Amino acid sequence: MSVDAEIRDVRYSRYEGERRSRLAGVVSLARWGALRSLGARRGWKAKAVPITLTLLAIAPAIIVLGVRALFAEQSAIDLSDALPYSDYQAIIGVVILLFAAVTTPELLCPDRRDGTLALYFSTAVSRREYLAGRVLGAVVPLLLVTLVPLLVLFAGIMVFEEHPLGYLQDRWAELPRILAGGLILAAFYGLVGLAVASLTGRRAFAVGGYLLLLVAPSVVGGMLGEALGDDADWTQLLQLSVLPINFAASLFPDAEVPNSSWAWAAVYALVVGAAVITLLRRYGRGSDT
Amino acid sequence: MIDASPTAPAPSRTRLIATDGVAKRYGAVQALDGVTVTIDERATGLLGANGAGKSTLMKALLGLVTPDVGTVEVLGIDAALHPGEIRRRLGYMPELDCLPLDMTARDLVVHMAELRGLPRRAAVLRASEVLFQVGLEEERSRLIRTFSTGMKQRTKLAQAIVHGPELVVLDEPTNGLDPSGRDEMLSLVRRLSSDLGIAVLLSSHVLEDVTRTCDAVVVLRDGRLVTSGRIDEMGGLMGEGVLVRGSGDLDAFAAILTARGLVADRRDGGVAVRGGAGEDELLDAVRDAAAEAGIGLRELRPAGRTLEDALVDALE
Repeated sequence: MSVDAEIRDVRYSRYEGERRSRLAGVVSLARWGALRSLGARRGWKAKAVPITLTLLAIAPAIIVLGVRALFAEQSAIDLSDALPYSDYQAIIGVVILLFAAVTTPELLCPDRRDGTLALYFSTAVSRREYLAGRVLGAVVPLLLVTLVPLLVLFAGIMVFEEHPLGYLQDRWAELPRILAGGLILAAFYGLVGLAVASLTGRRAFAVGGYLLLLVAPSVVGGMLGEALGDDADWTQLLQLSVLPINFAASLFPDAEVPNSSWAWAAVYALVVGAAVITLLRRYGRGSDT
Repeated sequence: MIDASPTAPAPSRTRLIATDGVAKRYGAVQALDGVTVTIDERATGLLGANGAGKSTLMKALLGLVTPDVGTVEVLGIDAALHPGEIRRRLGYMPELDCLPLDMTARDLVVHMAELRGLPRRAAVLRASEVLFQVGLEEERSRLIRTFSTGMKQRTKLAQAIVHGPELVVLDEPTNGLDPSGRDEMLSLVRRLSSDLGIAVLLSSHVLEDVTRTCDAVVVLRDGRLVTSGRIDEMGGLMGEGVLVRGSGDLDAFAAILTARGLVADRRDGGVAVRGGAGEDELLDAVRDAAAEAGIGLRELRPAGRTLEDALVDALE
């Protein structure tokens, strides 16, 4: 027997140790939910789609930085302008939409399908705490595709600059915008995805319903825009699939986005508010103590 | 959100559950109707037909249902005021399918321990302990969707006791189990109170499940309390002897028993036998006399009132 060997007593005993606050329960719900949505502890098929979409989201940043790395002196590309932060999320918009469509239903549908809610609510976890845990579990993984690629791009550009600290000083104001943009997108796609998933126990229905909800108004908005001509910028506000992307882009001074930031913010608040109300109606009833 | 620090009165040492005039109505259905009961025993069966109000009473104990009238106290804590505190201290094994099929048994039990406030490291250790106790240590890393019904029931039991509850509420734990699985589950349930020191409230509509695992019984019918008390006080077992029914010459059988010093009377188409030094001697004498008289035994049961008789009387 090596010196590291250990004999462990596995007899049942009364637990007398530390008990954490109910906030720890919310974090546990978020953690296990996020892991499940990303396919952790499941077969490779469950992991393949989230991993592929994450890599696709980071790909534009990696390509730009790769070009800079391979052709350092020869390239005339100014990295800071090659791929503006305000445009990045629009480029990977479809990837973000698909990532949310794939991951968010995993947080609610299996619990409804398998009847696990009865198990959760037999603990001290309240319905609203369950909901808070699941929202957190949806939003945090989404940051992998809404925030991390921009941070990679920012960090990469900074590293390749002759004076990295100088770049940081010049462009530090971009960081809060990048952070806000990532959160705006993650919150929107996460909450809308959860709201749709809360209506069904079938994952396929949740994915289909989610895509339909976001894409159908976008098609209508596009058709209206075509029909009404150049003066109908307001029709772009109907394009729900890119609504948060345009709202986030409007935070950057160099972005060319139709309609004002306030208009985007108003529609954004309307949609997110509807999603929150849907979730509260589905899960809000019952004791919260 | 409520902090983990105790917000409720200290639990009573003896009184596990006390309800006073609890009533609950769902539309036209009176699920509970003035139920007043005190439960002190370490293992108590909640007996009643489907729709008797067992599940509603258990949900009221867990604070998941608020009674229209009456009070519920569990471990000395008012369920209306501190339902969260009660649920942290209790374990609950639901009757219906409730397990996440895409998780392993180990992950589920760890997760449930964390939801009940255990730090992650303690949750992992406790999960190993309870999965060993319920006989799932070899299958802990398998997805629950691959489990048999018996393994799923044991997983539900494991999550109910992982946090070391003072009281565990088991809702029909033998539902859907085959005879051997049922036998194993009942043995596990009995061990909870006898070996592991966890008080048990078991709901069932099967009398044998209750008599094999519990010390006391609470009987409900149509939402009302019919009777409650210790099982050994509700029905005599062998105290009044045994009643033997069979084919053949029962008079000769009775005569042989009388000759052996026992009291044997013809009754209800059989022979009531009593006397002897104890239960074993009485049963040995019946066996030997039956062999000697050449009768075929068809029924051998306590001659006095059984728990079943008492319950049938109470339900009528």
